Amino acid sequence: MTKIGFKQVRNFSVLIVISSFLLSCTSSANNQYWGKTVLPKENVLRYSSGSESESLDPQIPSGQPEARILSALYEGLVEYDPKDMSPIPAIAERWESATNRDEFVFYLRKNAKWSDGTPITAKDFVYSFRRGFAPETLSRTAALGYPIKYAEAFNGKQFFVKRNGEFVLEKDLAEKPADAPTVAPFGTETEFRKFIKSPDRVTLPNGTLDRARAIEGNPKLKAVFAFLPSELKNATALAAKIKDSKDELTKFLAANLPPDALVCADANACNDAAKQSLADGLNKVIDGNLFYTQEWFSSLTLSKDAQGLSDAIAAENTKRTDGNKKLDQEIADATNELTKTEKEKAKKKLIAKLAYANRFLLEQTFTEEIAAADLVAVKAEDIGAEAVDDYTFRITLKQPAPYFLGLLTHQFFRLVPQHTIEKFKKDWTRPENIVTCGAFKVKAHKPYNVLIVEKDPNYWDVANVHLDRIEFPAVEENTTRLNMYKAGEIDAFLNHGVPAAWIDDIRQNYTDEYLDFRENATSYYSFNVTKPPFDNVNVRKAFHLGIDRATLSESRKVTKPLYYYTPSGIFPEYDKAMEKVGEEVRKEKGISAEDWAKRNDFNPELARKTLTDAGFPVVKSGNGWTCPTFPADRVKLTFNTNESNQRIAEFAQAQWKQNLGITVPLQNMEFKTFLPLRNALQYEGMSQSLWSGDYMDPYTFLGLHYGFPNDGGSGFNDDVYNKMLDEANAELDPQKRYEKLARAEYYALDKMPATPLTINASNWMKKPYVKGIYPNPGTLHPWKFVYIERDQAKWDKDVKNIMTEVDPQVDAELKQLKSTMTK
Amino acid sequence: MEQQEIIKGTSLWQDAWKRLLRNKLAVFGMIVLAVMLIAVTFGPAIIYWMTGFTYDYIPPTGNLVRSFPPSLQHPMGTDDQGRDLLARVLQGGRISLAVGLISTIVSLVIGVSYGAIAAYSGGRIDNVMMRIVDILYSIPYILLVVVLMSVFGGQNAPEWIKYLSAKVGGEGNQGMSQIFLLFFALGLISWLTMARVVRGQVLSLKNQEFVLAARATGVSKFAIIFRHLVPNALGPVIVYATLTVPSVILSEAFLSFLGIGVQPPYASWGSLAADGIKNLAIFPWQLIFPGVTMALTLFSLNFLGDGLRDALDPQTRKF
Amino acid sequence: MLSFIIRRLLLIIPMALIVITLTWGLIRLAPGNFYDNEKNLPKAVVDNIKEKYGLNKPWYQQYGIMLWNTIRGDFGDSVKNPGRSVNEMIRTHFPYSATVGILAYILALIIGLLAGTTAALKQNSAFDYGSMSLAMLGLSVPNFVLGPILVLIFALWLFWLPTSRLEFTSGYILPVITLAGIYAAYIARLTRAGMLEVLRSDYIRTARAKGLDEKTVLLKHALRGGLIPVISFTGPALAALLAGTVVVEKVFAIPGLGNIFIQAIFNRDEPLILGIVAFLSILVMIFNLLVDISYAFLDPRIRYE
Repeated sequence: MTKIGFKQVRNFSVLIVISSFLLSCTSSANNQYWGKTVLPKENVLRYSSGSESESLDPQIPSGQPEARILSALYEGLVEYDPKDMSPIPAIAERWESATNRDEFVFYLRKNAKWSDGTPITAKDFVYSFRRGFAPETLSRTAALGYPIKYAEAFNGKQFFVKRNGEFVLEKDLAEKPADAPTVAPFGTETEFRKFIKSPDRVTLPNGTLDRARAIEGNPKLKAVFAFLPSELKNATALAAKIKDSKDELTKFLAANLPPDALVCADANACNDAAKQSLADGLNKVIDGNLFYTQEWFSSLTLSKDAQGLSDAIAAENTKRTDGNKKLDQEIADATNELTKTEKEKAKKKLIAKLAYANRFLLEQTFTEEIAAADLVAVKAEDIGAEAVDDYTFRITLKQPAPYFLGLLTHQFFRLVPQHTIEKFKKDWTRPENIVTCGAFKVKAHKPYNVLIVEKDPNYWDVANVHLDRIEFPAVEENTTRLNMYKAGEIDAFLNHGVPAAWIDDIRQNYTDEYLDFRENATSYYSFNVTKPPFDNVNVRKAFHLGIDRATLSESRKVTKPLYYYTPSGIFPEYDKAMEKVGEEVRKEKGISAEDWAKRNDFNPELARKTLTDAGFPVVKSGNGWTCPTFPADRVKLTFNTNESNQRIAEFAQAQWKQNLGITVPLQNMEFKTFLPLRNALQYEGMSQSLWSGDYMDPYTFLGLHYGFPNDGGSGFNDDVYNKMLDEANAELDPQKRYEKLARAEYYALDKMPATPLTINASNWMKKPYVKGIYPNPGTLHPWKFVYIERDQAKWDKDVKNIMTEVDPQVDAELKQLKSTMTK
Repeated sequence: MEQQEIIKGTSLWQDAWKRLLRNKLAVFGMIVLAVMLIAVTFGPAIIYWMTGFTYDYIPPTGNLVRSFPPSLQHPMGTDDQGRDLLARVLQGGRISLAVGLISTIVSLVIGVSYGAIAAYSGGRIDNVMMRIVDILYSIPYILLVVVLMSVFGGQNAPEWIKYLSAKVGGEGNQGMSQIFLLFFALGLISWLTMARVVRGQVLSLKNQEFVLAARATGVSKFAIIFRHLVPNALGPVIVYATLTVPSVILSEAFLSFLGIGVQPPYASWGSLAADGIKNLAIFPWQLIFPGVTMALTLFSLNFLGDGLRDALDPQTRKF
Repeated sequence: MLSFIIRRLLLIIPMALIVITLTWGLIRLAPGNFYDNEKNLPKAVVDNIKEKYGLNKPWYQQYGIMLWNTIRGDFGDSVKNPGRSVNEMIRTHFPYSATVGILAYILALIIGLLAGTTAALKQNSAFDYGSMSLAMLGLSVPNFVLGPILVLIFALWLFWLPTSRLEFTSGYILPVITLAGIYAAYIARLTRAGMLEVLRSDYIRTARAKGLDEKTVLLKHALRGGLIPVISFTGPALAALLAGTVVVEKVFAIPGLGNIFIQAIFNRDEPLILGIVAFLSILVMIFNLLVDISYAFLDPRIRYE
């Protein structure tokens, strides 16, 4: 084979000559810069932010490439600092937050204008927030704003509940009814504030079946939905109908109601006591077996909603009955103990009685006789966003969220133009209609080709915008983009744009252009904790220990090893808290300082021991190891097709093979096939996860494993952990809060729902004359700071120091901007 | 010509074989293909026995996990992951050759019979059959592959695919069963062009004298199609088949380029070339070795195809 | 002949509907939805999306609506790029693919026919071997390899041409050559094979025997018959080229229909997939019809009843 290889080489000498030419020309060019580096004649930046943006409507897309483009066009209350991404003033000059940080007041600048010259007021923010959460907007990022009071309820078309004309409150349902907290004064007192700061109302899901389930889960809430005598609009008619027993339903009711309940059939005898006993009787009946199980129910004409509900319940129960029958058979056939217990667990209970569902069916059947429960839809006006006056905007949260201010830089919270949207409807983002509020406005948009934006003369800070134009060509392939950069066709490109194989060469030789910094993103493997063998925490730990992270990140070149769930080096204060709490944890566990220091070292012996302890002995076999009892056929490593994912997976596979003697099959799949599998926990074993923080707070990572469903992808749901995080977020002192979060993180590490792999690192390039653009943890760039340096002496040299070096121009502008913060 | 030879009778195939052996390029192609087949069959085991490298062995030390140029230890160098490229090229050859051959055979069998039957039957039958081809042409085959891979991939694979992949790659081998699905998917789409080509040929032949004569002497329809029409149309068909092998191999490469081809850690020549092209300017060996191996194989296949065509074409005997 | 053409044209509509139905079925079989992302969407948001796009209706109703929209020729808006109608997207992106495709095919035809015919006439000459070996090389090099190699040489080494995109006229050169390469090779081989076949046939011998000069024999008789395999290849090839060749569009960042289509498939953008499939299937069927008609002109032995 080698010989043939040689022959081939000779046959294809042409190819070789060409390639070696190219090889020599890249390395022998001996140029300080990579490829063609020519200062552009105009103040124009050509930046490739990946493929075409889903939409130019900031409230629709969720991706980072879009975030970069949209931040040129739109501005919100706050903008992120180009270096550390902390919030800096944008349309809001300054802001205040209430002591317990569940209210924020923003004071807007008076000279902010839309690109068509219309002034921007607080009303525009109210409109933008309401539009973002409106169900018909179909925003996929709306969940970011759920900390805002009633925003989630409005977004999900939920309902408030009224009882006897009064709204039912959360505290009415609490186990120990707490006193209403006194509302501290904050800012101007308004009617709206009175409403929004009043005790939380109960909200119920939109879907009837979901609503029925939610109600059944809470006895106090269920009591709210018991029939009141006052809800029997026409007790006489109802009792008469039941007495007549003309159809199966009334026959059933007649048979099951106590005799005194039907006294009301006689109009004269229908006093309050009689009505009460009818209501009581009905309540007893609806708390019994579900009506849908009765065959007679299908003979009735039901409203669409009720029919849907009854069908849904019936269908789900049939599915469960059939599923359980199949599982029973499989359990009987199973030879493997592991399979058996798993299948037992999978057996689903039939839907228990749902009193609300029964009530709902009765309401729908006897529309004339029974009043429907009083449900009030949550409206746009109910969410916690208020224009106190034209230039004061107030946000009220449902609970303290210390990280919330940082979230407001996200494109979801940026301003959209009411007057344009209402005029042009869905066509408002077309280049001829679009109105924006950022430093740049749309000049031309050729979809999937290029978006060109130009400096907006109406922008309030136009004096400090340095670029006349930015061109965003849509380029999908990394290699193509890199070629464009090398040929001098673009000046900078998005994060993760340099293919892994190129990094060695470029990082070493082009230090003036290549940016490699820690990123607010982690990659990890989720374990499916709902299925054996990974329902065993020791098995999870063994797989965690079986990977040499130092080698992994060394081979991945741009990444740093990750030993926790939050990336270290991104939140300096939190890192200190982790260290401090770590010391406490060490003492509690009685681990020697020496061992603790080595806890992150690669230790395959410990991995093997842990797996052996978990009941799967690892034994020596030849040069390597083998684990004969481990059910390797029940485990797979699933990831979505991507160069980097594949390399990590292949590496991990090789590691487990060498260290644990287990060959984990890899399964890669196209992204859209992968997602439902991961999110619905249908995968077996492990799945790839990559998480870019939504905001600059460790909670964006710790929240991944909080509650259920969550975004962690492991099915992990631990009450202790959830409670720890709740308590931490209620903590007002930032340092103490970090310590509480760190505590929770150590707890989660012990439970190991996922095994951390790497802290991702930014990986992109810019020409040395592009200045004012920084490799911040989210690789998001506020474009107004970016400029083209005409003086070659001032071009960037060795960008390693770019974050610490002082750029007088950027610093002066930042200082000027921030000066309003303390006014 | 000697009398004896005529008495013995030279069958079409014996004749063809002789002519084929006279064609130097075809013989060269056959030799290369034979060597290639032997290499991909036994090569991986020999490499493992000699050096311990396999197509999926990633060195456990970080500084070895990178691309090394060819050396004595790694005659073709290593890929980005530090895996021996020779082992990967050989393993990739197994898959690429299998994809090419199996899918081409499928397309030959279906395409030739379908096209010939349609053309000979003519009229309504021809019309309906060709419209079906038109419809199938219009189905986006990438979508078809995505659906096949996801709906029938992994756990949901049909039993026979699971059985085959277990035989080849070991129990529960997902990657292998995806590869078998790939054969199936590519076979399903590559017969369409073949059917059209055969139909075109048969249409131009079916009114010729020898067919009319055969029909007049009462030869059955089946025999006319497969004994008279198909062999006469064989020239372009074989050229087309030789074009189909590379085009199927390239289709697989294209799917790998899109990320829905072979499953890692497996590779095919196409996927190796797709990976290699990205690094051409810095690690040229990553493209050159798989690329040249693939090109040489396709070259040989084409030479052999041409040789076969010249050898098999019954009309060449007239000259 | 005319009634044949009319019948075939009328057939296109039901056939396109069958194609649409099969494609719709495939999309529904494929797992995942256009709105799926790394983040789990809250159930309420998913419900809102389903309601808006009618995904909560029974499948037969959804199918009916889809079919009716197809017949009306209105595929609605792309779900991935809200606010852009499918028809508009096809109108915008098709011309890119068509321009590159037609240029490439013209180039491929010129090279392929010349090389193929010459090789057939000078069978077993050095030119024959040379050009056929080159054609084989063309067939053996995938265009995702050829394209980047050309880019490396002409854009990154010599800096003569842009690396990608069609911003300038010079941007067309590399994609067109990349795309033409493999087709030129196909055409050359098919022409050669077809010509060899024809040159040996009786009617050429007759023509020669009649004393016609070689040029007339070649151009009037031989080329006509020898072109049949090329023609049957041209139909689907041209349709594929017009539809955009995904690899070239990806490598050169061309906003053509092929690139959009692939992204639509990976994004599960149902209206866009269906719109493009409908458009392309009609295009392919018309090309196939043209191929069948041209058979009749090129080869008098073929008749359509």
